[in-house]
Amino acid sequence: MKPLPEQDHYEVLEIAPGASAEEVERAYQVACTAYAEDSLATYSLFGDEDVRELRRRVEAAYRVLSDAVSRRDYDRALRGDQPEPPEISLELDPRLEARRALEPRLEAAPAPPPLEGFDEDSAADDTPCDGARLRRARMRRGLDLEQIAAITKINPSYLRWIEEERFDDLPAAVYVRGFVAAVARCVGLDPAAAAAGYLQRFEAVRAARKRARR
Amino acid sequence: MAAALARAGRQVVVVDGDLEGANLHTCVGVPSPRVSLADFVALREEDLAKLVVDTPIPNLRLLAGTQGNLGSAQPGHFRRVRLLQELRRLPCDFVLIDLGAGTHPAVIDYFLAGDEGVLVLTPEPTSVENAYSFLRAAFYRRLRLTLFAGSARRLVAQAMDQRNERGIRTPLDLLREIQALDPEEGQRFVASLREFRPRIVVNEVRTADEIKLGFAVKSVCQKYFGIEADYLGYVNHDDAARRSVLARRPLVESEPESDAAVYIARIARKLLAAAPARRSTAPLRRPEPR
Repeated sequence: MKPLPEQDHYEVLEIAPGASAEEVERAYQVACTAYAEDSLATYSLFGDEDVRELRRRVEAAYRVLSDAVSRRDYDRALRGDQPEPPEISLELDPRLEARRALEPRLEAAPAPPPLEGFDEDSAADDTPCDGARLRRARMRRGLDLEQIAAITKINPSYLRWIEEERFDDLPAAVYVRGFVAAVARCVGLDPAAAAAGYLQRFEAVRAARKRARR
Repeated sequence: MAAALARAGRQVVVVDGDLEGANLHTCVGVPSPRVSLADFVALREEDLAKLVVDTPIPNLRLLAGTQGNLGSAQPGHFRRVRLLQELRRLPCDFVLIDLGAGTHPAVIDYFLAGDEGVLVLTPEPTSVENAYSFLRAAFYRRLRLTLFAGSARRLVAQAMDQRNERGIRTPLDLLREIQALDPEEGQRFVASLREFRPRIVVNEVRTADEIKLGFAVKSVCQKYFGIEADYLGYVNHDDAARRSVLARRPLVESEPESDAAVYIARIARKLLAAAPARRSTAPLRRPEPR
């Protein structure tokens, strides 16, 4: 248990020294959420200045550890193989902050990894895919519908209706099949199996309603 | 949660530890339990097993908290120690104690005496604030139970007053003071931190961002308290939960396919997976009087 100023970059991001690039990225995302200006997580424990200092440290750690060359030099310095690398500026870069707020990396990486430690639904694999399963898989990856819409370019209303199984509001089956496959790809499900399972329910319900109207 | 463990085939006793606001019996479909924990607290019954009643759910039994003394529902210090000992002797696989809100020493002792302590919060400032107040109280109480030297214990007692004159604001400040006072006690402090691993559940989640609150709280626990909390899982906001209370049946029984029930079952699976490895062989020292 070290005070923040004595922690190395790995300790600041709470990762092991051998952490992969993906783990560095994930830890950084968590830290950005935890120490954001209006974060719920720091409420009542840390003062504003403490939070600013934490963000400065997190930012400095990320800048070093997310760049292979800087990280290699830093690791050598940690092991004592070479002198301490030049001090990284701890000032927050407003342009970087603004860019992160828009989360552009999400568009570059259409299938973010699942949130650490949460397994898939039990027994979900043997049942046809439905709206609830798509919703659970999406939330497990920490994605909102707006983010899925940004990645897939599908109208957010359609995405909501797919999850809520508002079959009467959805367009023709051929479009729904494509939508569900795209969403499934985004949330880490098998696109073909998810689309087939969903369409089975979609068509059965629509056919039943049609018969009832006659 | 208890019903989810029972559905997984485990023998479970669920205990209503919220003696000031006991209502767990209603949630598990036992409208008026004929006996309760109050009989143990009032010395009417010594054998806790005789106070456990069946519920309509297979494998799930209940130790209710009804009919408590309105003036002082929680047991006194020695009775509380006895209660904790007796709970460990109940013939079952799991005992789950549902604790009320607040930082009453009895509530903290039940939390600390368990093999697992699960803290449930919702994504609202008031809930997060209460969760941290509870963790702070549990953290300091645990420290007082761990440290031997009277001087170090007095320091902890001072630190519990958040406006203390020594300027101890955070657990780190306290560690520094204790290390300066007595290095051996400092080591005990650090060892105690490593063993204290509260588990976090975020309830009433509505957005993907709110799911991430659990990771953020875990990080804050590390930075502020120096403790490794576990993010056990989240449960979404689901009208099915309200319907289950109205039906007076556990959600995993009344609507097992609902999102919230699926998430609760997932948390139960994680608890089951962790249970054998984390079952303590050396329970905490017995609680000290308030």
